[in-house]
Amino acid sequence: MTAYLIRRGLQMIMVVILATIAIFALLNAVPGGPLSGLNMAVGAKNRLSPQEIARIEQTLGLNKPFYLSYLTWLLGEDWLDEVGNMIGNPGPAEKMFTTGTWADLQSPQCAAAGGTNQGTPEGKRPPCGRGVMRWDWGESWKLARGQTVTSVIGSRIKNTLILMSTVTLISLVIAIPIGIISAVRQYSKMDYAVTTFSFFGIAMPVFWFGLLMIILFTLKFREWGLPYFPSGDVFTTRVTPGSIQDVLGITPYTMADRIVHLFLPVTVLTLLYLAGWSRFMRSSMLEVLRQDYVRTARAKGLHERAVIAKHAARNALIPLITIVVFQIPGIFSGAILTETIFNYPGMGRLFIDALGRDDWPIVMAILFITAILVVVATLIGDILYTIVDPRIRFD
Amino acid sequence: MSVAEIDISSLQAEALLTGKPEPLILTYWRRLRRHRLATASLIALILIILSVVLGPIIMSRMTYFNVARNEEINYSRDTQDLRNINAAPSLEHPMGTDELGRDVLFRILMAGRLSLFIAFTVVILSESFGMFLGAVSGYYGGRTDSLIQRLTEFVIILPTLPLLLTLSSILRDLQIPFLPAEWGQAVVIIAILTIFGWTGSCRLSRGMVLSLRNQEFTEASRALGMSNFQIISRHMMPNALPPIIVNASLALGGVIVLESALSFLGFGIQPPVATWGNMLQGVQKDMFTAPWKALYPGLMIFVTTLAFNYLGDGLRDAIDPRLKL
Repeated sequence: MTAYLIRRGLQMIMVVILATIAIFALLNAVPGGPLSGLNMAVGAKNRLSPQEIARIEQTLGLNKPFYLSYLTWLLGEDWLDEVGNMIGNPGPAEKMFTTGTWADLQSPQCAAAGGTNQGTPEGKRPPCGRGVMRWDWGESWKLARGQTVTSVIGSRIKNTLILMSTVTLISLVIAIPIGIISAVRQYSKMDYAVTTFSFFGIAMPVFWFGLLMIILFTLKFREWGLPYFPSGDVFTTRVTPGSIQDVLGITPYTMADRIVHLFLPVTVLTLLYLAGWSRFMRSSMLEVLRQDYVRTARAKGLHERAVIAKHAARNALIPLITIVVFQIPGIFSGAILTETIFNYPGMGRLFIDALGRDDWPIVMAILFITAILVVVATLIGDILYTIVDPRIRFD
Repeated sequence: MSVAEIDISSLQAEALLTGKPEPLILTYWRRLRRHRLATASLIALILIILSVVLGPIIMSRMTYFNVARNEEINYSRDTQDLRNINAAPSLEHPMGTDELGRDVLFRILMAGRLSLFIAFTVVILSESFGMFLGAVSGYYGGRTDSLIQRLTEFVIILPTLPLLLTLSSILRDLQIPFLPAEWGQAVVIIAILTIFGWTGSCRLSRGMVLSLRNQEFTEASRALGMSNFQIISRHMMPNALPPIIVNASLALGGVIVLESALSFLGFGIQPPVATWGNMLQGVQKDMFTAPWKALYPGLMIFVTTLAFNYLGDGLRDAIDPRLKL
């Protein structure tokens, strides 16, 4: 087991590193990118000179070959100078790179500080990037220029965690009993309803469902004079007459305001998760009900309820738990589509916005964290398998 | 042994001796027809494909009154009518017009062509690639097997949607030589979706081949002097086909949803080329004035996906009810 875990852990680290390298290479290799829109301005006067573009490239770190920018992203740039000195190449480095010196590979503020973070006053941001491994995720390029990626993500992560944990909790609480009942009463009306519902839920494109919900609960409700729900965002700034906040007397920026805003996205996502999980629970329960130990439990005269609750359902829950564990990364990266439709300021929409505007530090940070979480969740899922079912062995 | 049992087995033996064996595909077809929803789905899918293929041909010969040009003209995908934007459904425009006054029905049919073409291509490519890789992996075993399995695990672990979005945003502006821009985009989307889509069929076909590889007929073909490649392509892959077909039918629905999600977010096929996903892209800003625009493209995605899922379900029951997919 230990050997397995070590092998698996190493493999996982490889996966994360390979994935990030691949993305970095692609980002750098393909034309376009953050500089593509710069020289579109009309008139020679408004255009940037080649020097200016070179300066921007240097600030963003785009002048480096991709493996070097990957290394500085991962490990920081304050060591570049020292390595350069060690190799004995503080001067022109034309042989290795097309640019001039090692210092040219650093961002201007880092080069100005002499390529080192020593002597930075307490509480001030050090001039040289220290790399992801030392918890420096860099600065946002466009979405929130000048802000650190950590602060941008920090401002969004709470919203996503609230949304996704609510959804997970509600879906589990509903999916488990529904799955159990429809398995116990297989081929009953209830079972058919559940199966049909899960088929519909799986086929439903979540963005379309979201749009329909907005049409019904915001648009039509307003038309019909019913208290209508907000179509997006997390808080209201001004309560409009006739809205649900107005009817219930909810003041902006309170907990109740947040709940009202959560209603539509949570409903959409819950139905989506519910469809998959209840179906999964049903088939897992059907499998367990055929087992010999369930027959034994019935044969020794146990109450049917006890058979189902104590013997069958508990075992049927095992696969569901691992499925839920595999979806933990989604809790962090957010529901990209749902957040986009409901204009919900969480991680998912941040990712889309960053992608659309070539804000690579944010994109890389979210992808990196998601990849790590996926890998960790897979590992936890594997371990859980062995714990809950000792018959499974890894070697 | 009871009398009844002997009777049945002798009857079966007689049937086997006298009657010509029914082709497997007919057995599957008979069993599929018993699954009512799957049959209905099959009919619905055929109707959708027919209307998507023939509809634009017929409609492009019909005319409507274009207000901006003030004349009767033929329906087409891109002809705008800025005097008649966001019109409600009417006889001339059964599904209304969009924000540029283009006929929504015509665009939906054209979008269906592209969406279905992408979905079928992706599924055919990824399923056959996965099937081949899985067969190789299961047949050779050993180091080849573990290498391919590690690769499969690697792809499965990757966070699909974020990576799909990143890849297609990076490759969005990629120009493929000798191809019109819209086909270039379609090729990129197909490639990306194929890269992430082959793992399921790889695992399935590996499992099938593992159980086939040590059976007598494989040994017989080896004794007859067939090469490994011949055995894989003549015996292993055809035998692994039934579960792959089920998997493919279920995958078609998934690919349609995924492609439309990409296009909806603006990272897939770009307008003016229509797909069901990108037709929903702009509806959010006109939702309060023209809510019907949100209805039809999504409905097409939903109905098609649902039909593929039901068909896959029926196929599974017909081919092998014990199959876990």
